[in-house]
Amino acid sequence: MSIAMIGLLRKEVIQFFRDRVILVLILWLYTVEAVFCTLALSFDVEDVPLAIVDQDRSTISRELVQKFALSESFDLQYQESAVSVAETHLAHGKVTAILVIPPGFERSIRSSEQTTLQLLLDGTDSNIAANSLYNARGVLARLVREQLPFAANTGAIAVTRVWYNPQLTTSSFMVLSMIALAGMMVGVIHPAASIVREKERGTLEQLLVAPISTFQLFLAKIAPTMIIGLLAVFPSLLIVRAFDVPMRGSLALFLILTGFFLLSAVALGVLIAAYSRTLQQALLLSFFGLFPVMFLSGTLTPVEAMPDVLQALSRLSPLRYYMDIIIGVFLKGVGWRDLWDESLCLIAIAIPMLILSLGIFRRRLQ
Amino acid sequence: MNARRIVALLLKETRELVRDPVTLALAVVMPLVMLFLFGYAINMDVDELALGLYDQDNTPASRALVARFAGSPYFDIIEYRHNTRDLDRSLQQSRIRAGIVIPPGFGRALLRDQPAPVQVIVDGGYPMVAGLGMAYIDAVIAYFPAPRPELVEMQTRVWYNPSLNSINFVIPGLFAVILMAFPPLLTTLAIVREKETGTVEQIYASPLRSAEYVLGKLLPYALVAFLEILMVILVGFVWFEIPIAGSLPLLFVASLVYVFTTVGIGLLVSSLARTQLAAMLITLIVTLMPSFLFSGFLFPIFTMPYSLQLYSRLFPAGYFMEVSRGILLKGLGVEAVLPNLLLLIGYTLVVFVFAVWRMKQKVA
Repeated sequence: MSIAMIGLLRKEVIQFFRDRVILVLILWLYTVEAVFCTLALSFDVEDVPLAIVDQDRSTISRELVQKFALSESFDLQYQESAVSVAETHLAHGKVTAILVIPPGFERSIRSSEQTTLQLLLDGTDSNIAANSLYNARGVLARLVREQLPFAANTGAIAVTRVWYNPQLTTSSFMVLSMIALAGMMVGVIHPAASIVREKERGTLEQLLVAPISTFQLFLAKIAPTMIIGLLAVFPSLLIVRAFDVPMRGSLALFLILTGFFLLSAVALGVLIAAYSRTLQQALLLSFFGLFPVMFLSGTLTPVEAMPDVLQALSRLSPLRYYMDIIIGVFLKGVGWRDLWDESLCLIAIAIPMLILSLGIFRRRLQ
Repeated sequence: MNARRIVALLLKETRELVRDPVTLALAVVMPLVMLFLFGYAINMDVDELALGLYDQDNTPASRALVARFAGSPYFDIIEYRHNTRDLDRSLQQSRIRAGIVIPPGFGRALLRDQPAPVQVIVDGGYPMVAGLGMAYIDAVIAYFPAPRPELVEMQTRVWYNPSLNSINFVIPGLFAVILMAFPPLLTTLAIVREKETGTVEQIYASPLRSAEYVLGKLLPYALVAFLEILMVILVGFVWFEIPIAGSLPLLFVASLVYVFTTVGIGLLVSSLARTQLAAMLITLIVTLMPSFLFSGFLFPIFTMPYSLQLYSRLFPAGYFMEVSRGILLKGLGVEAVLPNLLLLIGYTLVVFVFAVWRMKQKVA
């Protein structure tokens, strides 16, 4: 490594750490935002506001009301005697579901006759509606089991075990995906901005007359982002620990693969920098580029739910591979051999972009 | 206020915007790309879930159950395994999302009218897929060999979106997100760019007042933002066939208010940031992330802890989302959306007053 190269590296690192505002913002994304999102966002539909109209007013119907009141899935807000009153609550958005227990409910259960409860749902959010129905069926099934323990249960029954995350909580998935998202955003935006800023101010020319190759210039520009990206992982590890996410695999493997992932993010940032003329363009382009990368990664919505075309496109998103890596290392405790494919894919995404942008820079400069 | 000075600045700003084809193209293309991407990608209905099967029983009954899974569009059996170790391994390598083991004696138990357990192992690493997958697998097994009548049935009636189509919910929500994603960033960068390159000093030296400066700077971007939302609404109706239960003019009025909220936030950020990079990161944190994650767009607000419900109330996207969903899906009228609309107007005024005050401080 030449002296000029070391000098350049020093300049980049000083420049990076001098900008306190940016450092704070980057740390914010890695820590506060990750904590907020993990605490707040959950795919489990809980505390659905509910109104119950109990037209039976019997021991069993009160028992059912009690079960709904205690259920975590529902938040019993109103008990009305008239359906029309409950319906106005639904219309005003005060509740999302109404359960109507018909008269004669207890008698039917005692005499093992078939009976029907009515569940009225606000279908605006189809996901909440579907989940509420599923959860209400669960509460009802508990009541029926208790009241009629001898009802024959024949036929096939599913005995389900959940691996890696037995309670099926979203928090471990959320915190890991937020850290991956932060890495992606910083990894793309920062190198793009730092290169184009020099282009715009004209200081890039000075660097070009310095006795270093374009390749070395590249390295020096990439290094600070890689360093901060890897350092920022450590506070995140504390947060991950605070949310009781186990670390079943090896930390070294995780750091190495995080390096690969950052490299692919940085490659996208550099490519954007190669194309754009002004800082504004670079920032808007990276903003624009981040969207598909984030949305096709399976972090917010499952890849399985996408149409085939988008599923195929999602293979181009480095975030998708990194999610598999991060979940594999933390939750499943897998090693090198199982993450081989993902690592190669990350490299395969990074290298062409880096070569392409290096080519663009060389051509521009001659 | 001097109209001539505002118009002069307005013209300069418009010219700058038009001369930058990349920015202009992004301003038009990005909302559409987002709309199509989200319209198709945000879908909570999982199909073709990767399954691994291990039939230890190998009787006509167990093979019939396997055939049920194979025939269902929700599953894609990618592996038939012959020992549990291989199944575990596939699960660990994320090749399959769930494994099903039919134990020996399954067929015999069914013939004797006894409970016949089937073992299901689900990968909990992706909780959303796991939850849905469990429910689907449960349903297939519970309906085998024939649906069993429930003693107590749950009959449902669904209001507002009877087909439970998630697109009808996602698209009106997207109006709020898309508008929060781009216009604030565009506005912020336009102002901070002048700060960073130093041309803002010339503005300070000119007789332009800060209110005039704000108006001249904002109007072009407000116009771009309004065109964006018109375009997005149009595509929502024509392509995604969103139902319109309420009044369209009311939606336009609400959108116009929201347009000013978004550019107002851009203005506010620009009065806080000194560099374009900082401006962009702040915009990301105060507009895009909350409008996406803390607005009720995908994650319902009522499931959040109370303190974070308050945090989510700090950002305006949720208010507009309630208005647009209310008008389009529930057919709400003026009186019903007025509280949220007034909140938005108040919010916008506060943001503007604060931003103009910050700028005055700078000039003085």
